[in-house]
Amino acid sequence: MKHQYVDGTLYFYFYGDLDNLTVCNLKQICIDLIEKYRPKMVRLDFEEVTFIDSTGIGFVLARYKQLMKIGGELVICNLSKANMTLFHMSGIFQIMKYERNGVKL
Amino acid sequence: MNKMSLTFTSKLENEAFARTSVVAFLMPINPSVDEVMEIKTMIAEAVVNCMIHGYEGKEEGNIQLDVQYDDERMITIQIQDYGCGIENINLAMQPLYTTKEHLERSGMGLTIMSTFADDFQITSTVGTGTKVLIKKQLHVQQDESK
Repeated sequence: MKHQYVDGTLYFYFYGDLDNLTVCNLKQICIDLIEKYRPKMVRLDFEEVTFIDSTGIGFVLARYKQLMKIGGELVICNLSKANMTLFHMSGIFQIMKYERNGVKL
Repeated sequence: MNKMSLTFTSKLENEAFARTSVVAFLMPINPSVDEVMEIKTMIAEAVVNCMIHGYEGKEEGNIQLDVQYDDERMITIQIQDYGCGIENINLAMQPLYTTKEHLERSGMGLTIMSTFADDFQITSTVGTGTKVLIKKQLHVQQDESK
């Protein structure tokens, strides 16, 4: 995972298999970065993610809740077709924005 | 007909082992990219459930995985733990219902499995363990000669 902070927006770029073990290892780093920057917006980029399951959805929901407490907004970016199917199942887009963009680290 | 069985401990790193092993075993029947993704996801959901719920994060439990396929490319997957069991399966099946929100679980695992499977069954006994049975029919591939 990479991240960058630009003009009030914190970007996270995930890659590879975002499975339970990976999320367990990344979770605290993301929590701490959001606490450190207290961004207006967080963008989670899944373009390079080859695998995701319900653990990833739980992680996204938890970051959404974390941001709500500090008045921030969360945007999900660049899901593959298969990953999009999974996110749709959870109804997550009823509360969160989705965007495709070309912003790269 | 072909079949395989794996028994592994409930250590977190074994989830990736389980899903890649199943996909490797199924290679002779040539699943599509989408089918591979769905199968990997179902295995991940089932195995993570055994680890997080069945054994409540303890890494000494055993998880039993049995996979078979037949000549019609019907795949049967059974995943079993010998952990705490589920008190109310109907409640557990509700989308977004989770007992482990503090662990950032989404409550989508069983929903995802039942959506991707052609047949999905779950049986559980409190104090004895939980077993999920997944059936998945692979579809005929087009342009295999190309």
